[in-house]
Amino acid sequence: MTDSKPLRILIADDSDSDRLILKTLMKRLGHQVRATANGSEAVAIFPEYLPDVVLLDVMMPVMDGITAAREIKAMAGEELVPVIFLTSLTDAGALARCLDAGGDDFLTKPYNKIIIQAKLGAFNRMRQMHKTLSQQRDLIRERNRQLLEEQQLAKRVFDNIAHTGCLNADNIRHHVSPMSIFNGDILFACPRPAGGMHILIGDFTGHGLPAAIGALPIAEIFYGMTSMGFSGNDVLREVNDKLGRILPTGMFCCAAMIQADFHLNQLRIWNGGLPDVVLLRKGGPRELVPSRHLPLGVLDSARFDATMELFHTSAGDTLLMMTDGVLEAENEQAERYGEGRLKQALDTAPAGEPPIDTVLGAIRSFTGEQSGHDDLTLVSLDMVVASDFHESAERLPQSALKGPAQWHCVYEVRDDTLAQFSPLPLLLHICMEVPGLRRKSADIYTLLSELYTNALEHGVLGLSSDLKTSPDGFSYYYSERERRLEQVSGHYIRFTLTHSMTRKGGKLIITCEDSGQGFDHSSQITTGAADESGNANIKYSGRGLLLMQKLGHSLRYSEYGSRAEIVYDWELAIKQPGGWS
Amino acid sequence: MNDKPHLDEEALTELQDVMEDEFDVLIETYLKDSSDRISHLRSAIGSADPDAFARTAHSFKGSSINIGAPMLGELCLRAEEAGKDNRLDEASDVVDAIEVEFQRIEQTLKRFLA
Amino acid sequence: MPINTHRSDDGHTLTIRIEGRFDFSTHQAFRNAYEQDNQEVKEFVVDLSQTTYLDSSALGMLLLLRDYAGGDGARIELKNCNNDVRRILTISNFEQLFSIK
Repeated sequence: MTDSKPLRILIADDSDSDRLILKTLMKRLGHQVRATANGSEAVAIFPEYLPDVVLLDVMMPVMDGITAAREIKAMAGEELVPVIFLTSLTDAGALARCLDAGGDDFLTKPYNKIIIQAKLGAFNRMRQMHKTLSQQRDLIRERNRQLLEEQQLAKRVFDNIAHTGCLNADNIRHHVSPMSIFNGDILFACPRPAGGMHILIGDFTGHGLPAAIGALPIAEIFYGMTSMGFSGNDVLREVNDKLGRILPTGMFCCAAMIQADFHLNQLRIWNGGLPDVVLLRKGGPRELVPSRHLPLGVLDSARFDATMELFHTSAGDTLLMMTDGVLEAENEQAERYGEGRLKQALDTAPAGEPPIDTVLGAIRSFTGEQSGHDDLTLVSLDMVVASDFHESAERLPQSALKGPAQWHCVYEVRDDTLAQFSPLPLLLHICMEVPGLRRKSADIYTLLSELYTNALEHGVLGLSSDLKTSPDGFSYYYSERERRLEQVSGHYIRFTLTHSMTRKGGKLIITCEDSGQGFDHSSQITTGAADESGNANIKYSGRGLLLMQKLGHSLRYSEYGSRAEIVYDWELAIKQPGGWS
Repeated sequence: MNDKPHLDEEALTELQDVMEDEFDVLIETYLKDSSDRISHLRSAIGSADPDAFARTAHSFKGSSINIGAPMLGELCLRAEEAGKDNRLDEASDVVDAIEVEFQRIEQTLKRFLA
Repeated sequence: MPINTHRSDDGHTLTIRIEGRFDFSTHQAFRNAYEQDNQEVKEFVVDLSQTTYLDSSALGMLLLLRDYAGGDGARIELKNCNNDVRRILTISNFEQLFSIK
């Protein structure tokens, strides 16, 4: 029992007899007592005696109880030291002043042993509780400080992975709260190697660290695949698949994916669970692109639909995307901002004002909030003519010239692995580590893929292209391919990649060797469909070699066709006109 | 006018119980303090100091209530109020009444002493 | 398989849409798409808007379709190709055999 523990009690009373009564009473109750005759003495003793409870007479010479109470409370600081005033309870005004000065209670004369005991017990329990709460508060404060520190650290890591994109492009405007990642919001933008860009905006269910964790793999997939030239729906499929595997059921990511093409001036849009994406046509009319899909991370890959809607646009059109935080922003009356207000804000927007500014301004005046203390994530993309955007897209490879430049690797696939595994994504990934090569991902992939197909089908499996002279021949060829692949044994396909830097860019040498008997590569090469157009006997095969010849700068077969070597020279994109379109 | 009892037997008994051996010391201290206070009250009237008068009456009131002399406490309260209200002309009568009551209490208390 | 077909109201145009990779693995599905129930079809449209990649065997398949549809007299349109797909078609001189939009 806390009641039984002796307390240290400090008394100040100028009346000798009253002081004597109180002092004796406290001692009888088992407490330690220091008694003084005025407030000044009590204040002087306080710091060294550190009492648990202070009893003060109100009117005393030298220093009265009210002044003493103020000084004692100031010295006690955050610690709770109950101050009890001794009074004969006559003047309500005096009582109020006692409470103002920090008094916690009163003891009335004549003193009653039972009441004093009860009050001391109550205050002691309150004191203990206060101490416990203070300790817990300090602990929570410390934990919170640690958490914020960890979040800052996590944010720095996250920023390294996620915010290297092209959100600063001239035709993008965006608003994210600084710690949006811990609201579960994500916003990424990345230029595509062949021109144009991808934008991904999303909102994870949940808050805090769990919501932030899912964002990291999304960022890696989004930036990695986009830089390698994959299209928006490929990125979506991969992200959906990844989230489906790592997120617990019930956690997912509402998102919208945009693939912008400034050459063709078109947009592809996928919306899964976010508010309507708004396409503001130049001159006023608006189109809404509602959510037509389940959020990312819900459906398995077989049922996931990555179809993106195609929109033809013109320069001056603006696309506006936002997370739920926009529609859910609340004012003081707990009303939500909602679609109606959003529509009205856009309807009445002053001409020439960027739509994102219109919406942000409208929400701020709705919520009455000035600070950046929000959950809003918005992004707008202005459609521009390709040449305007080109400049900003060109910055990327220059900043990323660092990276593996001189390297060599050999990768060999053997036996039944040939039937189960494609080495192409891995090999492409290795090549894409060279920053300057990223823009060439489509070329490299085609080269690797055609080499591999030839080595596997003609070399290892011994299939002849001559089979492919009719529709049925085609079918036979591929059923035979499948049959032979199941039985493949004792074979290999070996890729050797060597990369080095040149004055203008770099040189990638790809050799592909296989364990087959070789094949008659010279007869395979079709010199080009043009030469034979009009001829009934156009060959349905052999275009792989033609493709490789045109893409690579040299193609050489040796060892009777079981060894192929391609030299691929690439140049830095400093002055090169954009793409091949 | 003043219907409080002269002596609160219950309070006094409790004091005896609490103070044990020190009860005598308490009574002697109270009696000495009180006669000092009566002198203070009179000199405050003489020097026309209502503030000092009120403060002394206040302390006297508290210790009298504590010792178990509610009637004396009540008279002290009237003195305190007179001091606060700057009515020292009425104060002499109250101090006379206090002195009469105190003598009565003194005699009674002395019977409690061993 | 990620191949869908759509027939115009008058039945004269058959649109074949290929989603994802257009390579040997889609061979049978692609052939089925143009061979079945097509008596009235006069024009084929291959919608490549959702096609992410196209390899040399797909080129062969397009040529098969061309011959199936009447060779030089065939009316085949390849539309909505992305930059990568268009490049492969261009390198292979397919614009001389197909209408590419």
